[in-house]
Amino acid sequence: MRNAYLNYAGKRLLQAAVVVLLAYVFTFLVVSILPGDPITNVLHDPQNAFTMAQIQEIIEAQGLNDPVALQLWHALSGFVTGDLGLSMRSSRPVATLISEVLPSTLILASSALAVALVLAGLIAYGSQFLPRRFGQGFVRSLPSLFLSVPTFVIGLVLIHLFGFQLGLFMVIDPNSFWATVFASIALGIPISAQIAEVLVANLDNESAQEYAAVARARGLRQTPLFFRHFLKPSALPVVTVVALMVGEVLGGALITETVFGRTGIGNLVQRSVVTQDLPVLQAVVSLAAMVFVLVNLIADLVYPLLDPRVKILGATAVRSSASTSDTASPTVTV
Amino acid sequence: MTISLASALSRKRLHAPFAALGIPPSVALAFIILALVIGWSLVPGLFSGHDPFVGVPADKLQAPSIAHWFGTDQLGRDLYARVVHGTASSVSSALIAVVIGLFVGGLIGLLAGFLGGWVDIIFARLVDVLLAIPSFLLAVIVVTALGFDTINAAIATGVSAVAVFARVMRSEVIKTRQATFVEASFLSGGSRWHILLRHVLPNASRSVLPLAVLRFGLSILVIAGLAFLGYGDPPPASDWGLLISIGKDYMKWPWLIYAPAIAIIATVLSLNRISRWLRKTD
Amino acid sequence: MASQDRLKTPLLRVEGLSVSYGPNQVVRDVSFELGRGKSLALIGESGSGKSTIARAVLRLLPARGHATGRVEFDGQEVLSLPERHFRSLRGRSVGFVPQDPGNALNPVRTIGVQAQEAAALLDEPNHAVRKALILDVFAQVGLDNPQRVYDSYPHQLSGGMLQRVLIGLAVLPRPALLVADEPTSALDVTIQKRILDLLSQLQADLGISLLLITHDLAIAAERTDALVVLKGGVVQEAGRTAEVFASPSTAYARKLYADVPSLNPNRYAALRDPGLKRADDAAAPKIEFSGITKTFTVDGRTLTAVDNVSFTVPAGTTHALVGESGSGKTTAIRLLMGLDQPDQGHITVAGLTLSDRTPTTLREAWRHLQLVYQNPFTSLDPTWKVESLVREPLDRFRIGTPAERNDRVREALASVGLAEHLLSRKPAALSGGQRQRVAIARALVLKPDVIVLDEPTSALDVSVQADIVEVLLSLQAKLGLTYVFVSHDLALVRQLAHSVSVMHRGRIVEHGRVADIFDNPREAYTRALLEAIPSGIGARVRPVTSAQISTRIEEVA
Repeated sequence: MRNAYLNYAGKRLLQAAVVVLLAYVFTFLVVSILPGDPITNVLHDPQNAFTMAQIQEIIEAQGLNDPVALQLWHALSGFVTGDLGLSMRSSRPVATLISEVLPSTLILASSALAVALVLAGLIAYGSQFLPRRFGQGFVRSLPSLFLSVPTFVIGLVLIHLFGFQLGLFMVIDPNSFWATVFASIALGIPISAQIAEVLVANLDNESAQEYAAVARARGLRQTPLFFRHFLKPSALPVVTVVALMVGEVLGGALITETVFGRTGIGNLVQRSVVTQDLPVLQAVVSLAAMVFVLVNLIADLVYPLLDPRVKILGATAVRSSASTSDTASPTVTV
Repeated sequence: MTISLASALSRKRLHAPFAALGIPPSVALAFIILALVIGWSLVPGLFSGHDPFVGVPADKLQAPSIAHWFGTDQLGRDLYARVVHGTASSVSSALIAVVIGLFVGGLIGLLAGFLGGWVDIIFARLVDVLLAIPSFLLAVIVVTALGFDTINAAIATGVSAVAVFARVMRSEVIKTRQATFVEASFLSGGSRWHILLRHVLPNASRSVLPLAVLRFGLSILVIAGLAFLGYGDPPPASDWGLLISIGKDYMKWPWLIYAPAIAIIATVLSLNRISRWLRKTD
Repeated sequence: MASQDRLKTPLLRVEGLSVSYGPNQVVRDVSFELGRGKSLALIGESGSGKSTIARAVLRLLPARGHATGRVEFDGQEVLSLPERHFRSLRGRSVGFVPQDPGNALNPVRTIGVQAQEAAALLDEPNHAVRKALILDVFAQVGLDNPQRVYDSYPHQLSGGMLQRVLIGLAVLPRPALLVADEPTSALDVTIQKRILDLLSQLQADLGISLLLITHDLAIAAERTDALVVLKGGVVQEAGRTAEVFASPSTAYARKLYADVPSLNPNRYAALRDPGLKRADDAAAPKIEFSGITKTFTVDGRTLTAVDNVSFTVPAGTTHALVGESGSGKTTAIRLLMGLDQPDQGHITVAGLTLSDRTPTTLREAWRHLQLVYQNPFTSLDPTWKVESLVREPLDRFRIGTPAERNDRVREALASVGLAEHLLSRKPAALSGGQRQRVAIARALVLKPDVIVLDEPTSALDVSVQADIVEVLLSLQAKLGLTYVFVSHDLALVRQLAHSVSVMHRGRIVEHGRVADIFDNPREAYTRALLEAIPSGIGARVRPVTSAQISTRIEEVA
């Protein structure tokens, strides 16, 4: 069993590494093969006022005249050794640019995730315990509503209500405590919806199981039934869902940071898109993929340890009893 | 008492034809909203008398009223007209995105799931890679590479949805392929392609259809997000996301944000409700 | 005085009980009484409302369910009792044994944790004592290693062991009433008998009243004092088991009685017996299955699913493969169909050698060899209409002109007794019995020589089963079909087969003519299978009270 697990972990690690490298290659190919030539656009943009010599220098430094395959090889070997290249705009190392803004995004992302988990937990609790006549239906429709509101609208509504009307925070100071809180809420709400959907569906599924009726027949009340029986099997799949949400959090951060005027990765991406600074974009996307793959790898490795039903066969973890499959909620396939 | 009676009566009258079809009232409402949105995008002129591009500067930034249902913007243009005229590109671009995701992803998933072996391994890795890149970031780099306009934003959104469709299609195909009735068709002399096209595809599509409706809603959100960031058509276009983006600079006149926001929310919520209903009734 | 009065009232009295889900009334005005220490069976087919009654008595109806009428437990009306007060009865005074033990325990919690919940009803503060009591009751219900069971997760135990655990947990607080909802229908036949024996034993030892919900008239007759026959939520007949059994007064009860294979072994003798002559004529067998071995590798271990199995089937007869789950009977017929390739051995069907063929060359064989699956709910494509389903083999094998195909589809449907108006229906709009008829029509439409039937009635109600069996036998008599019939139900096999092979762990332990095997079983395993057939009132099971076991709980406490 131990051996099987190590074997499984080793294989998954290898798969993860392959996926990260392929993600890098894929991004590279998207920006270099697709029609449109952002690089020359940028360099020859009169606003940038590069001289011909400067342009030549940049082209040399970035190796832009090499064949695509060679460029890819250079970039990939740089990526593997941790060298993310130079920004085309500022000529500063991309790694430095990213590390400057990373903490702000990490704070936003982790607090948004906390908001999402708390909200999802509250919705799940309400879906089971609120009386049917009084608000249960409303609570149950919340995830659907949350999923229908664009992140930037939530952000703007929060700014309008709490910033403008109540004056709780100033938009000019985007890194203040309240601004961070509301940014996290704006980012957390759509995330919470997806977690809550899975959680509520699982709880409903568990409480409809035969074992629930048998446990009730054993004299168990609703509350211990919920905490002792339903919560664990319902919450376990949430580990996987939360891991999958990492991508959403990073994507959402792009918009939230723009709305709240925060510095951060999202803001860096936004600036790099506008100036078409491809090395920065390439690096951010590859790192995001790496984070996503890493988090999901951890989730996949932890999951078999938490769920006694999961058996490890070869390179895959198999659940011995079927769980609800929800077409809307993603689950990892190996 | 009288109010509740009246509303119950009107509800009954409104939904009588739907009730006969076994459609719950909320789904009926969702279909009505969707029909309205389709109307807005096909014949916007029929729904609004004002010009969406030419305003009356004297009437700028007016609050919603009978004359201007959603108020007016900073150039005195009727906001309702702008929302109605922005529908076509906001909604049709989402439709393009879903069609791309559905066909490319569906084909990948179908082949990977049905052929198995090396095809599956290669496609599964490709899908893993696509899934690993956060979909909004993926849409952003694709639209950056293609250039900023709404059609490119739609293509980018479609590309970012390919992985989800491929994965769901693949798992549905694998599930269906193992079904007893597939083996029964095999015993009835059915060839692989007969089974793929006549048994596996129709059954697998039954759960992909609700997903497509759901992704249609999500694509509206993603494209609105891209437009909000300025990656879609520039003004004077009036995509819903772009309208909100302009509105954020005029926070004292919040209807500039709320009116297009409500259009987005109502549309996406309706699509979500329909998707859920399709999944349940299937 | 008061307590004496109490002892005179029945333990459970149900009066005018009706249950509805929204506008659908599923139980209508049901009344019955269950005395102390007595047993009563609620009998009916699916949709009869029998399980709903059990849940109403336990007040475990889903939120949409609404019950009216009176349910008196120990003289106390419980339907109207606040949940708070009823909770003290549930578990403590009324125990529940569910249908499918595989789903009746939380899969991510150990048995021990869940057993402690039941033990919490014992008013015993000491955890160690409670655990000792649990281990003791596990031993009492026949679990060999109580400590190991205590530490296990549900998926680590077999279905029979789980049902023992659940019965143990139900009787642990020494309830006065045990409600058992089809406690054995998800289990293998030999396990079934042991579980029923255990229930009877405990009932006698502990003086518990038993409310047994079952679809099996023979089990009810064998195990209970009184019975209530239900159909569509309405009581058809009720009374003392012996009396109802001796002279059922309603047509429904009579039909139910007639449809139980174990009570009517020779019901289809007229249709079956002509084949017996052909069974003796072993000159030109339709099917030869000789020396077949098939191994699978699972988790690095080699598993021999079919071990040197041989049998032959003469044309126009029915050969039964009988065995419990894991006996290799399903693998054997997959090999016979050519869906798997044997490691060793030789298979011929209708003169064609199957065992060395590729899927493409097998197509030729399948024109003469068709399979009817166990579960008609999964074997028909839900997106297809009946007409296309039955027509598919004709289209795929390109038989006849389109007009001829239409005729043959109608002919096949008529021969299984389906009306033409069903042609445009999809499977979801058909009942289980209708679906299985469609599946049989699909197998029949090619006019094959051999039809392999994989437990074709085990997913169906007993009256539907009787209809299907009749269809199968009359088709054989008319068309001279050869059947391979796979089943776990020996009583059913006796009704329709001519020869039988009894399989156990991949081997054939005994084979021969049905009459010989049933009258003179030579192997212990065959005898165990035969004994597991509930044989109705004649073999009434009444275990001796073993005072020794019942005192053990007191000793530990």
